[in-house]
Amino acid sequence: MFTLPQKESKAPTTCPGPASTQDLDSNHGDGLERECSRKPDWKLPEFCGVGDPTATASSDSSHLSSRGSIIKWFWDSAEEGYRTYHMDEYDEDKNPSGIINMGTSENKLCFDLLSRRLSQSDMLRVEPSLLQYPDWRGHLFLREEVARFLSFYCKSPAPLKPENVVVLNGCASLFSALATVLCEVGEAFLIPAPYYGAITQHVYLYGGVRLVCVYLDSEVTGLDTRPFQLTVEKLEMALQRANFEGVKVKGLILINPQNPLGDIYSPGELRDYLEFAKRHKLHVMVDEVYMLSVFEKSAGYHSVLSLEGPADPVKSFPLVLSASPHEARLPDPQRTHVMWATSKDFGMSGLRFGTLYTENRDVATAVASLCRYHGLSGLVQYQMAQLLGDRDWINQVYLPENHARLKAAHTYVAGELRALGIPFLGRGAGFFIWVDLRKYLPEATFKEEMLLWRRFLDNKVLLSCGKAFQCKEPGWFRLVFSDKTHRLCLGKRSHLLTHPSVCLPSSGPRCGSSSLSSCILPPSYRCQCGCPFFPGMQRVRQVLEGKSQVPDDPASCQSQESGNQRSGGETPPAVL
Amino acid sequence: MSGNRDKGSSQPAEAKTKTQSMSDRLGMFRMPSARMRGQGLRNQRIHTHLMEMMLHLKQTIEKNLMHLTTRHLQQDLVLEEERHSQAASEQEALLGRLMYQLVNLLQSGAVGGLGLQPSCPSLDVRRDVRGGQWAQSSRQPDWPVHQLSDLEATFVSQHLSSRGIDISALYHSSFQDYKIYQRDKYHEDKNTMGFINLGLSENKLCLDLMTERLSQSDMNYIEDDLLQYPDWRGQPFLREEVAQFLTYYCKVPDQLDPENVVVLNGCSSVFSTLAMVLCDPGEAFLIPAPFYGGFAFSACLYSKVELILVHLDSEVTDANPHPFQLTVDKLEQALLEARITGKKVRGLILTNPQNPLGDVYSRDSLQKYLEFAKRYHLHVIIDEIYMLSVFDEFITFHSVLSMESLPDPNRTHVIWGTSKDFGISGFRFGVLYTHNREVASAVSSFGYLHGISGIAQHKLCRLLQDREWIDKVYLPTYRSRLQIAHGYMTKKLEALGIPFLNRGSGLYIWMNLKMYLDPCTFEEELLLHRRFLDNKLILSRGRTYMCKEPGWFRITFADKPLLLKQAMHRFYQVLSEQKQDLIMKQLENAQRE
Repeated sequence: MFTLPQKESKAPTTCPGPASTQDLDSNHGDGLERECSRKPDWKLPEFCGVGDPTATASSDSSHLSSRGSIIKWFWDSAEEGYRTYHMDEYDEDKNPSGIINMGTSENKLCFDLLSRRLSQSDMLRVEPSLLQYPDWRGHLFLREEVARFLSFYCKSPAPLKPENVVVLNGCASLFSALATVLCEVGEAFLIPAPYYGAITQHVYLYGGVRLVCVYLDSEVTGLDTRPFQLTVEKLEMALQRANFEGVKVKGLILINPQNPLGDIYSPGELRDYLEFAKRHKLHVMVDEVYMLSVFEKSAGYHSVLSLEGPADPVKSFPLVLSASPHEARLPDPQRTHVMWATSKDFGMSGLRFGTLYTENRDVATAVASLCRYHGLSGLVQYQMAQLLGDRDWINQVYLPENHARLKAAHTYVAGELRALGIPFLGRGAGFFIWVDLRKYLPEATFKEEMLLWRRFLDNKVLLSCGKAFQCKEPGWFRLVFSDKTHRLCLGKRSHLLTHPSVCLPSSGPRCGSSSLSSCILPPSYRCQCGCPFFPGMQRVRQVLEGKSQVPDDPASCQSQESGNQRSGGETPPAVL
Repeated sequence: MSGNRDKGSSQPAEAKTKTQSMSDRLGMFRMPSARMRGQGLRNQRIHTHLMEMMLHLKQTIEKNLMHLTTRHLQQDLVLEEERHSQAASEQEALLGRLMYQLVNLLQSGAVGGLGLQPSCPSLDVRRDVRGGQWAQSSRQPDWPVHQLSDLEATFVSQHLSSRGIDISALYHSSFQDYKIYQRDKYHEDKNTMGFINLGLSENKLCLDLMTERLSQSDMNYIEDDLLQYPDWRGQPFLREEVAQFLTYYCKVPDQLDPENVVVLNGCSSVFSTLAMVLCDPGEAFLIPAPFYGGFAFSACLYSKVELILVHLDSEVTDANPHPFQLTVDKLEQALLEARITGKKVRGLILTNPQNPLGDVYSRDSLQKYLEFAKRYHLHVIIDEIYMLSVFDEFITFHSVLSMESLPDPNRTHVIWGTSKDFGISGFRFGVLYTHNREVASAVSSFGYLHGISGIAQHKLCRLLQDREWIDKVYLPTYRSRLQIAHGYMTKKLEALGIPFLNRGSGLYIWMNLKMYLDPCTFEEELLLHRRFLDNKLILSRGRTYMCKEPGWFRITFADKPLLLKQAMHRFYQVLSEQKQDLIMKQLENAQRE
């Protein structure tokens, strides 16, 4: 049978060997981000590409092809972790000692709103045409709605066109399809790391495409104004290195807002990256899947589709100073491909709806040619069109509430981290905080990172560790704060007043944590008499307080969440 | 994988060699440096070829232009127009051919990297008919023919990879008719001049029942699990229901295990993933021909797997008691021939009930095919997507899952979906059932890329659960409507004296229009197909099923009576025209002689 040579490889490997990585990603709990840490190819750490899973994939099976064995290996290592969690899922009443998932980036805070909206009568329409073979790009009515939706929310200067839209079953499929139609087997995309690790698998399974990491540092050096800052120099260097290694790079993947950093690129930065790509004739895939999950207004999010001429020539790199204001809004529209989905912004990762916007007809057509394999049900397409078209509900009900809940949860977790003296990044976007637990590692190795991660799991809380995002520094963790297992009471929103019936004394565990001033209570959740209930954070705290190697130094605790970190002149707080 | 790997080996050196050989065999997953440089060299070679071809292209264009100009000068005005158009089409063909070769050459860079032999495209439709083998990756002779008529798709995009161009071109040519149809669909009130599509195997007989059932309140249920990341094999509740459903309708002796079920967004996805995990690029499946063209499309689109055709004959002989009968002898022979040419055959694809023939395999034949596969360690992918669409009560469908004991359960993989049997092709739902956990796991890795919406999974579960409705309402109505539509269609065909297979299953009839072709070639078949298109009727021709005899067409009858009537009217008109032309042609020939 197919086994990973866990024992064998333990011996020869010094730092994190396949053995530890396998444990790590098999269990780090994020249903989506389990893949990329299994890079057995430690000799070429800069290629986080799948490198050579063949090194660990062995098989006595006569049933699978060689590539089948590798493909299966992706599943096995991933599934094992998921299984651990699913076998012992936390439930406040039924299994209060179960595992709490703070690893999967899902927004479970607004299910009440969504289920109500999705149950309204306009969603229930069944029409014969929806049951038959569709236009593989997506039904026209949906593509039209998507174009309108993106025009509005991305603040596109001109209306976007339905013919530039391709609809498929999620961004995973989109990454796969783009990799296939833009690259030959063995070619690569650049990606700033740490990054959403599942992309490795998406571009690799069918496409055989690899990722070349543009490693970002936590330390603020040179012209950087913030930790993990992406700069054109770093892009240039990574590209050069890849060229030197003989790897043909065909494109650049940008995630904005970034996952796991929560970073938001300014229009000037975006333009710089796009100009860089244009210079090297690289495609740019901009994944904007968190674009409406920016809960801090001051964060100032800009979609790539909103760009209008060079935004801020002063901030631009010298190389693009020549750009005239009359220039096309995108430096290279034919090579710029935007991705969006409802998974994150509408908290519906199980709905499998993703969309591509590209002005390049060849690319749209080629991706659409693959949609036979990545289509979604006509009925769901209809529902999505209804949802995206309901601007009133989105603007007046969903988004304000979603943002308030995200913000409250974020504020709470950030407060807890601050109390623990743990440095972190979190810039007011996304569902997660990028946490620096380096001081809890006795040695700065991924092995230690894994051990810490394991300790969390032993204490029944699942996190994602930096290795899973190809972070090059051991000790970083991503902490998701939008799980439904916690409840926060919010004085100022006062659901206690509007829904007094939900405020029941409960025998459930109390968080027992430090003071809390602002939080919210989704109406469907019971309240704990004003006490915030966030058992996951409590467990994190338990682990860290028992484990901390270095005495806490509250002075070192500087958070970077929210606010305008990009305002140049300010001394950027180091990530500590 | 040839199972030569010691499990306990802990020697790094040994492991390394194995790795090496594995990635060699793998082809697809290559490491950079050395091999990339190799690729560079190859590209250089291609580059030179490319330059030569460009030069040739240029010369040809110049020559043709010259020719045209001189003709213009010389020509008498009467014949001018006719010849002009002739010359233009000649030119178009020539240019098209060259462009296509260019694309192929470019693409051979990628194909070469996959360890496949780049071969020149064959534009001669007849050429490949004789060969039992059919190399994939768009060098399939069928597609270029289309491409000639539309250069747009063949054009080399500067933005796409060569396989991207390939995929676009392949899709464009394979689904050209479908695209035309999408733009101009027939509608009984709104667009009576639109295209009638009887080329697509789509069940439109029970849309009323399905619409009604799907509108019932139990369908509209939202639960948080449905909106969150699912089990990528399919939600447990759905896999459980599928296992029960198949146990019941496939008449399985023991209860099927939900753990053996993987649910993806359509049967094409299931097949595509199976091809990925069972074969390495360049390896092959056996498949009896004629067969559903989607297999060919899927096999070459992502997985680069070859299909080796087991050609079936229409003619009845001692060795071939029924038209197009699949026998173990034919399988043996095709396998042997493939092995002689060095092809690695990994499996056999069967469709039961068969598409386009409508054949339903007897239990006995099934057993024989499976035993054959077992003898040669071949996987069997058996597609039972029409299993509930058997409408002749004298015919019994035997699912492979109903067998008391499967000859080789670990190599038998069953595909089913709701597209045909429930007429909901827009739902995107396909099922794999396999006893082989390895295969199930490997296919599950693709769950991300072929996932179904939780909301749709819930609806499907409710649908499959409603045994009462299926047995008492849906299936009886569906089958009687199939019978009526089939009866209508066969009567019309009989009246026209057109031979066809009458098999009592499926949504289509396989008919022989050979008598309308003179000479009986695939070119003429294509011309007849075009003539149908010109009359706004889409059928699918035998060539797209890799039938080795020209003249066969598949016509779908699972549509509303009114539409069928209109379609048959057009059908009749086309054939009359065609007949007229044939007579004219024969007269001309006779006069010439």
